[in-house]
Amino acid sequence: MTLKRDAMSNKNEFDKARTGKHEELACGEPAHSDEALTQQQITLAQLQSESILQPENAKQELRIGVYICRCGGNISDVVDVERVAETVRMIPGVATAKVHTFVCSDPGQHMISNDILEENLDRVVVASCTPFLHEQTFRGAVSRGGMNPYLYEHVNIREQASWAHKHDPEGATAKAIRMIAGAVGKLRYAQPLEQIKLPNHRRALVIGGGIAGMKAAADLAARGIKVLLVETAEQLGGRLNQWSHVYPSERPAAELVAELSRRVHHDPNIEVLLGWKITEVAGFIGNFKIAAESLQPSMTRPPRIEATVGAIIMATGFRPYVPRDGEFLYRTEPCVVTLPEFIQLMQSTSQDAKKLTHRNQTIRNVAFLHCVGSRQLDGVHEPGADGRLNTYCSRTCCTTILQQALAVRRRFPHVGVFDFNQDIRTYGRGEEDYYAEASKSGVVFFRYNGEEPPTVHITPSGHAQSGALSVAVKDALTWGQELEVPVDMVVLGTGMMPGQIEDLIDQMKLATGEDGFLQEVHPKLRPVELAVNGVLLAGTVQGPMNISETLSAAGAAAVKAAAMFAREDVELNPYVAEVDLSRCCGEAQCVTQCAYEGALSIVEIEVDGEMITRAQVNAGLCVGCGACVAVCPHRAIDVNGWRLDQFEAMVEGIAADMPGQTCASELVSIH
Amino acid sequence: MNTHITSDFTPDALIIGGGIAGLQSALDLADQDLQVLLVERQASIGGHMIALSKVYPTLDCASCITTPKMSAAAHHPNITILTNTEVEGIDTRDGVHRVRLLQKPTYVNFDKCIGCRLCEYACDTEYPDPFEEGLGAVRAIAVPFTNAIPQKAVLNAEVCGTCGACARVCPTGAIEYDQQPRHLTIHTDAVIVASGFNLNAITVKPQYNAQHSQNIISPLTLERLLAPHGPYGRVLRPSDGKMPGSIAFVQCAGSRDESIGVSYCSRVCCMYAIKQAMLLSGALPLADITIYYMDIRAFGKGYEQFFQNAKAMGINFVRGKVARIHPVEDGDLSLHVETTEDAGNPMQERRHDLVVLAQGMIPGWQPSDVTPVACASDGFVATPALTAPAATTVPGIFVAGTAAGPKDIVDTIAEAGAAAMQASQYLYQKRSAVLVG
Repeated sequence: MTLKRDAMSNKNEFDKARTGKHEELACGEPAHSDEALTQQQITLAQLQSESILQPENAKQELRIGVYICRCGGNISDVVDVERVAETVRMIPGVATAKVHTFVCSDPGQHMISNDILEENLDRVVVASCTPFLHEQTFRGAVSRGGMNPYLYEHVNIREQASWAHKHDPEGATAKAIRMIAGAVGKLRYAQPLEQIKLPNHRRALVIGGGIAGMKAAADLAARGIKVLLVETAEQLGGRLNQWSHVYPSERPAAELVAELSRRVHHDPNIEVLLGWKITEVAGFIGNFKIAAESLQPSMTRPPRIEATVGAIIMATGFRPYVPRDGEFLYRTEPCVVTLPEFIQLMQSTSQDAKKLTHRNQTIRNVAFLHCVGSRQLDGVHEPGADGRLNTYCSRTCCTTILQQALAVRRRFPHVGVFDFNQDIRTYGRGEEDYYAEASKSGVVFFRYNGEEPPTVHITPSGHAQSGALSVAVKDALTWGQELEVPVDMVVLGTGMMPGQIEDLIDQMKLATGEDGFLQEVHPKLRPVELAVNGVLLAGTVQGPMNISETLSAAGAAAVKAAAMFAREDVELNPYVAEVDLSRCCGEAQCVTQCAYEGALSIVEIEVDGEMITRAQVNAGLCVGCGACVAVCPHRAIDVNGWRLDQFEAMVEGIAADMPGQTCASELVSIH
Repeated sequence: MNTHITSDFTPDALIIGGGIAGLQSALDLADQDLQVLLVERQASIGGHMIALSKVYPTLDCASCITTPKMSAAAHHPNITILTNTEVEGIDTRDGVHRVRLLQKPTYVNFDKCIGCRLCEYACDTEYPDPFEEGLGAVRAIAVPFTNAIPQKAVLNAEVCGTCGACARVCPTGAIEYDQQPRHLTIHTDAVIVASGFNLNAITVKPQYNAQHSQNIISPLTLERLLAPHGPYGRVLRPSDGKMPGSIAFVQCAGSRDESIGVSYCSRVCCMYAIKQAMLLSGALPLADITIYYMDIRAFGKGYEQFFQNAKAMGINFVRGKVARIHPVEDGDLSLHVETTEDAGNPMQERRHDLVVLAQGMIPGWQPSDVTPVACASDGFVATPALTAPAATTVPGIFVAGTAAGPKDIVDTIAEAGAAAMQASQYLYQKRSAVLVG
């Protein structure tokens, strides 16, 4: 069963003029999705009327203002900005071309908005630094002058001309002129655009009830935002329910779970579904339609619910690495256990116990092996079932191993502890103390090179006194001596693996990295956001993290959702595809090529009583990539703001002969 | 950019520090329609990050990541920025924080200054440029650096000879030699401490003899040497301008060392050393590059692969502790290293012509001196709450970034978001309670 989707349609207001000035179309009056024209309302007359996508001709009598920035010498030390201004002033349509030391400064911006009003400009070009830095600044300046901000073009003559060609002032100047000529050409075909505004459902879905999910939910709820928290298990707490103590505070993990789950259960803004699974996700930012199914339906529990949420926080956590059968004798020898199993053993051993025992065997010597299932190397380790090596560091195992090693030494001083590592990564606050304390308490450290990991063996019978197992290592601390350490127990420092959420990844089209964890857009610019707008990352679903890092990551995800919900509407940039209904034949080649589920579809529409099929764009899901434009045989689809005619005009502008110089001769001089 | 306030201004939150942590917290609060006042003691926002060359593990240019956030904060209608401003103290009474600020004189009227730099070009007094770690020179009156925000000239009164040249050329009459310090007290409900870090002194370990050689440099100096718009435009060693042929990175040269009172790990040095080594091998393809380390702590997302790539590029990783460094002839340096490589010869002497000491991170500011905020035994702000890592010992005062212990940019940005979340929910709860009460 599929969820009903909002019939988002091409929302351009067909009949509105292409003038540059604010009129009824201006920024203030955005088209709401529910007001947008749906294709069902289109009449044949409109279909036959002049297509809005093919501006019959570029508006001839434009008044374009060009502003060239010196950038305090960054540009003008190389580029002859005065000559640039003189030359571009001769391009048809350019009404004025001015030079300023810092166009981005308040006086510079004021000059632009003033000129729009006083010189009656209807298009603006600023040639300055990268658009990343100041495109928004100049859109603002242009709006303040009463012009549609999308009738503005930004040309980067700093990074792309003065900086890139600092030893060639002549070439840099010529390049700056051509880049501006291209922008002027593109502006000839520009049309006023509006930000797409979509309604924002002020409720978040949090998937996962571990500490990340609980923290994100509790933070949002305390900020007054409604949350639906869905967890597959019957209780909150996730992996922390199997944990003993949290480093570095050494407080019981149960205390942390209790504190967060109390906040989650008692906050009226949070609805908690335990024992439920998300089965369907559709829609887009501000307007996701989701469905959840109960894993154990009962009389009191409906089998399925549906909901609409504005944002989704992925907090599905990790899965511990499970060694293969026989890896370090795991599952062959009962006294080879993983780190989580050892933590359980320590926790289930009475505080009064004088001896550490496992399966009725007294443990006198225990070995801890680091990096089991982490920092794997090609040619040394065997790939997992999915063919993948876990090349990453799991970040938390070093300190957890030292925490456990220290606990053994403190509780059972007669038990020898041997630690086999390649590096000790106690990087976090308070973590180095574990290393120092472990060394002081008599833990014996061995160090191996990653290419030569230690091996675990069964000692020949007769050595029961010194232990049934032994760890062989080529120890770097003794300059490569080959040592064999007899022990009764081997603890494998198993790391973290990506959680098994393939169904959600497929359904929501989420990106994963080479490591299999969900991949943020950018680790610094957008660290908790996925490429799918409105879907956020919290905690170890993104990669290994310890508890305080997980709590911070969850807070960072929550704050992005809170900021998004501070707006009545979700605003998206208007660079989305638009279908020319008079040219579209409904062949659906665009739909086949589209990589964004639901962004393009084929719909039946009624025109004067006859049903025809046409492509339809969902503006909420379209990212404006242009794949559809490339495959349409009828040129019936185009991306607003970057239409084909605009590209052609840019190329023509760039390649046109400039006063005093032909394009060809200049190219020779550049080379 | 809004830079004007009086004591009547009561922002929802005040952020101490305009580095990457403070900027991220400010943006995350302002995007929730909360009014933010950001105070920065330097002449520009951007903190340490804006001076870096490239950042790991993506090798993005640091400016490319920092300037959009600086610009977004500067243009945000809900953010007010005060630079050249120090926090003299915070008094917290009845849940309101009275933050006492000192706006230091810049001797330039920011309302009038248009950032044209004519004063800078006219000034003939120069001093070592702090932005370039002292490698280049800057005029006594200058815009702090190319992409500084605000783009306003600031006069350094300690070196200025008051010749009047700047005032004569200033087209807007912005120079004010008689500008006075300004005190103001801001009342706010929430404070975020994002006061960042400093490095401990390069001379902290006397056995490394940094005071006796210009060629023993700070990693921040190497950042400037590697930056595309750095002081020389290429990597030259400070003593004689020679292109270095053999560079050593000495790790843990100010951390993990109880003898200097810094027992903790500074968390970023392994990764930036690897990054700098990679950038150096690009800038100086013939140079030998060696990293002397105890443990390589490449723990973050994509970091281990970054480390493995560096090994594959031919960077030498030597596990061993550098005991002593001595200057030798030609400006070179002799390192005494105990390595685990050669059983027959554990103590080795190695010669390099440039040495980078991984200095340790220490707090950039001690809030406990002038505010009720407690610091932990490591000197950084204490964060005792179990489930709220950004909460300090004072309700309504939060902490973000390296003010709460060493951390890298990725972790700082996450923590800054979390601090903003905690501050905004604190404000929401406080105000809902007032409404109900």
